[in-house]
Amino acid sequence: MNKPLPVAPEVLLPAPVRAPRAWRVPPLNALIGAFLLGLLLIMAALGLVWTPHDPLALNLLARLQAPTAAHWLGTDEYGRDVLSRLMIGAHTSLWVSVLTVSMAIIAGTFLGLLAGFLRGWVDRGLMMINDALLAFPGILLALGLMAIIGPSLYGIVFALSLAYTPSVVRVVRGTVLSLREKEFVEASRVIGNSELYTMLRHIAPNCVAPVCVLATSMFGWAILAESALSFLGLGVPPPAATWGNMLAASRPYIATASWLGLFPGVCIAMALLAFNLCGDALRDRLDPRMSK
Amino acid sequence: MFRFISQRLAMSIPTLLLISLMVFAIIRLVPGDPALLMLGDMADAHSLEVARASLGLDQPLPMQFLIWFKAVLSGDLGHSITTNEAVLPLILDRFQVSAGIVLVSVLLAALIAVPAGLLAAWKQDSALDFGVVSTATLLLSIPSFWLGLLLLYAFGIKLGWLPVVGYVSFGQAPWQALSFIVLPIVTLTLVELGAITRMARASAIEVLRLEYITHARAKGLSERAVLWRHALRNSFAPTLTLIGLILGNLLSGIAVLETVFTLPGIGRLMVDAIYARDYPVLQGCLLLVTFVYVLVNLLVDLLYPLFDPRVKL
Amino acid sequence: MNKTFILAGALSAALVGTAHAESVLKVALNADIRSTDPGVNRDTNSDAVIMHITEGLVAFREDATVGPLLAKDVQVSDDGLRYTFHLRDGVKFQNGKPLTSAEVLWTWKRFLDPKTQWRCAPEFDGHGGAKIVDMSAPDPLTVVFTLDKPNGLFLTSTALPECGGSGILHPDSVAADGSWKAPIGTGPFRLGDWKPGQYVELLRNADYSARDEKAPDGYTGNKSTTLDRVRLLVIPDPAAAKAALLSKNVDLLIDVTPLDATELAANPNVRVTSSGTMSVNALLFQTRDPLLKDVRLRQAIAHALDSAQIVEALTGGRSKANNSMVASGSHYHTAVEDQGFAFDPAKTAQLLREAGYKGEPIKLIVNKRYAAIFDMGVFVQAMAKASGINLELETLEWGTQLERYQSGNYQMMAFPYSERLDPALSFDSMTGDKDKEARKVWDNPDARHWLREAQREGDITKRQALFDQLHQQMIKDVPMIPMYNGNAIAASRDYVKGLRTWPVSKPRLWTVSVPNSGSN
Repeated sequence: MNKPLPVAPEVLLPAPVRAPRAWRVPPLNALIGAFLLGLLLIMAALGLVWTPHDPLALNLLARLQAPTAAHWLGTDEYGRDVLSRLMIGAHTSLWVSVLTVSMAIIAGTFLGLLAGFLRGWVDRGLMMINDALLAFPGILLALGLMAIIGPSLYGIVFALSLAYTPSVVRVVRGTVLSLREKEFVEASRVIGNSELYTMLRHIAPNCVAPVCVLATSMFGWAILAESALSFLGLGVPPPAATWGNMLAASRPYIATASWLGLFPGVCIAMALLAFNLCGDALRDRLDPRMSK
Repeated sequence: MFRFISQRLAMSIPTLLLISLMVFAIIRLVPGDPALLMLGDMADAHSLEVARASLGLDQPLPMQFLIWFKAVLSGDLGHSITTNEAVLPLILDRFQVSAGIVLVSVLLAALIAVPAGLLAAWKQDSALDFGVVSTATLLLSIPSFWLGLLLLYAFGIKLGWLPVVGYVSFGQAPWQALSFIVLPIVTLTLVELGAITRMARASAIEVLRLEYITHARAKGLSERAVLWRHALRNSFAPTLTLIGLILGNLLSGIAVLETVFTLPGIGRLMVDAIYARDYPVLQGCLLLVTFVYVLVNLLVDLLYPLFDPRVKL
Repeated sequence: MNKTFILAGALSAALVGTAHAESVLKVALNADIRSTDPGVNRDTNSDAVIMHITEGLVAFREDATVGPLLAKDVQVSDDGLRYTFHLRDGVKFQNGKPLTSAEVLWTWKRFLDPKTQWRCAPEFDGHGGAKIVDMSAPDPLTVVFTLDKPNGLFLTSTALPECGGSGILHPDSVAADGSWKAPIGTGPFRLGDWKPGQYVELLRNADYSARDEKAPDGYTGNKSTTLDRVRLLVIPDPAAAKAALLSKNVDLLIDVTPLDATELAANPNVRVTSSGTMSVNALLFQTRDPLLKDVRLRQAIAHALDSAQIVEALTGGRSKANNSMVASGSHYHTAVEDQGFAFDPAKTAQLLREAGYKGEPIKLIVNKRYAAIFDMGVFVQAMAKASGINLELETLEWGTQLERYQSGNYQMMAFPYSERLDPALSFDSMTGDKDKEARKVWDNPDARHWLREAQREGDITKRQALFDQLHQQMIKDVPMIPMYNGNAIAASRDYVKGLRTWPVSKPRLWTVSVPNSGSN
């Protein structure tokens, strides 16, 4: 009865079939989620081409300044403009997120299909490794891998994808197993299609929906995980800015320069909210195709 | 039932073994070994050799693993390389700290979240429902360590009501101990509230719908009361699974929160052990954490049939 | 009736009498000690504690020179091979037994026994400086050590805190089977309670045999103390330690970060003292790197840095820039060693042109564990960039960086050298044959030769000349850029008197006095 890691917890449940209500405008959660996500994407995109100040420029004379007209969100412990760093941080954090989730989904779907399709000892072996990876504390796995690979953006992506792939494998395998014996799959076999064809043509597409919903949760986890790693000393290495390492760097100054910790946290929370709301909306839309 | 338990425990042994091998391999692949870390910049070749030999690091890797494993089987988890303390009492001690905070938080969260979720499901699409869902989603979206920092700032620094650092065990000084763990517990509770509320609400909605359809013709408050009891019991199962998962993952993922609140818990112990390349402590911690993870899963599976009669052990 | 009153009165009088005020000092340790066996399984905190319990034949004075402690005097034979120690008369161990040459021999035999795993054994058994070929005790108050070759560092090595000061122990410190029990030394404190992970307690040695001097002098001199008890509490988190100081749960912090020091100094109830230590924070070059093997490029980088400004920013003015391996606090540091790398961007530009540097990226390894090291990397990178030198920061985890240092696998790194109490030891830490020891930064045959001389030589003037030579050659070769020496910063409550920090950086708690409190 073991289920994959939840954050948007309803992933564990098949979506409830709503008693049909009168038509709705795109639900509020989708609107807000899309709006927030759009905001973040704009911030990230903008950060690539323009920032109010050079995010890497040190200014030892203007360290730890509170928000002023010159620096809208203040300066950090090296005198760098916080707003500019938040903007390039958006880009880096989102990029880490996207890469991680993509890798985890590709690897997880492949392995999940493999396990669900082949069954037998391949399935058992894969699931044993999968369970071990799931039981292994994610933080430690990431820390250990990064200490081996060396702190780098791609190292983090690799480590986090490794930590999240088992969840995808679980979901995909679960879907495959529940679909294998369904009528339309039987029908496909009866017609004479090979197992592989049946798998790819009929079963795989039905995995898209649950994986998509899981993906929206994983975007959020990835940003959270990167921040957590920064707190423990091994995030994306400086001087690159990510929301996570900005938040981590703010800790010694919590009493003297509290704004340093406020703004990155708000950004992270916004991103998580955006992903959660979009995930909800997505799940609601896709639910007719999610079979039990 | 006894057979079920012993079967499950037996099946968990390969997992434990695999995890031990994984952590053994990973930590030794990480550059730098405890001898080097001990000697630092004074590590000339001879001293390194002597230090490595005294730590048993000069043996071939499989030998090292077997020596450690054999010791574990006889209950000896070795001694910390950094502090020389015996590993088992050390990790149990730290585990107590983390477990105390996690258990209390999850319990508190469940006590608030489950009724809240049920209420929201009962009054689905009302203003109350909207309020509950929005709050839950918001809480779900706040990073726990950021929330911790904010609470620390507000209550510890600005208001000065609670201490900012430190920890005292409950046995030593109950009131003081409370002052140290209030903030971490509140933080964790708030964060878990979101997830549990949403799950309770979602599963209750599903059950209510079924019951609603079945008892559509029933009228009167007494039916409602029955509905309520049914709804609560039957919808709890997925929430239980969620709680189990949260517990299992929190115990190892709590490292960051422990860093923010400077708590001597097992999360920080593991992180510190990696940085110090303290092999025995790390291996011991992983064993314990995995074992707890297996136990929690087992407990959830044992309790599941109580709430979902469709599922048999 | 009367009898009861008298009895009660006597009893209460007795009680009041026994509840005499005690002088207790509470100190925060940032980690638990590892063992109480001097120089065995040691780390900085263990050394600090054991140096209160045991004493060696010689010890470091306040000015970081070595002077007699348990010895009354030391005589070195003309050929430098024989060291004769005349012991002080009437010195007692903490178990009441007298100190004689027999215990000295016993202690040293045990140190050199491989089974003891004494950290400093390699120094005296032939791997390091010189080998002790003979130890003898012609009479109960005389010990003679014979070396196989002259070694100017012999006395210094015995006095090093990391060797436990070669503290002389009484044989009752070990059990019948040779396993370690507890240290029975001659120091001003004896070991009280040790609760691992929580605290270590030191109790005043009531029978301490103090030297004749009026005042303490580093680890020697008159070390009598007025403290009855010292409790060293284990508080690993610096923020927790700071909070403990502010709430009077501890009276003294011995190792404060510069950031915390500035904050604490603003508090009227806290006193902050600091002094330079002999640790070196330096910028290392890998002289075998294809790019950096050109000395002109290394010189260009050196002249691109305004060391004074960098060090001022890093240490809040507590340290001066020091481009020499000879610590500022050492008496071997003279005007010669003050000559460092001038901040000269014009020269940098010229050197870069000569070397044909085209802006290739150079990786500079830093770590986040030592904030000063990380910040140093950030400042160095920024300054170098201003001169057109493209340094890329590579942030590694400390253990990983240590491994790269050890194997020489880097281009540049910001590195913290732990303290070396003699310039010969400092130079030895980075000078050597790279083929034999990859971690050595400076591979110059002349330098190695001068260093060997300095290790052998006992005469101060001759050693000074050798260190001057070494320094001047280092400025020419630029294998590394030492930036500054560290600081030992202590913070104490205002009622703590007598605390002094010193270049050897370890605390000397016997000089401290606190007002008497009720029994704790």
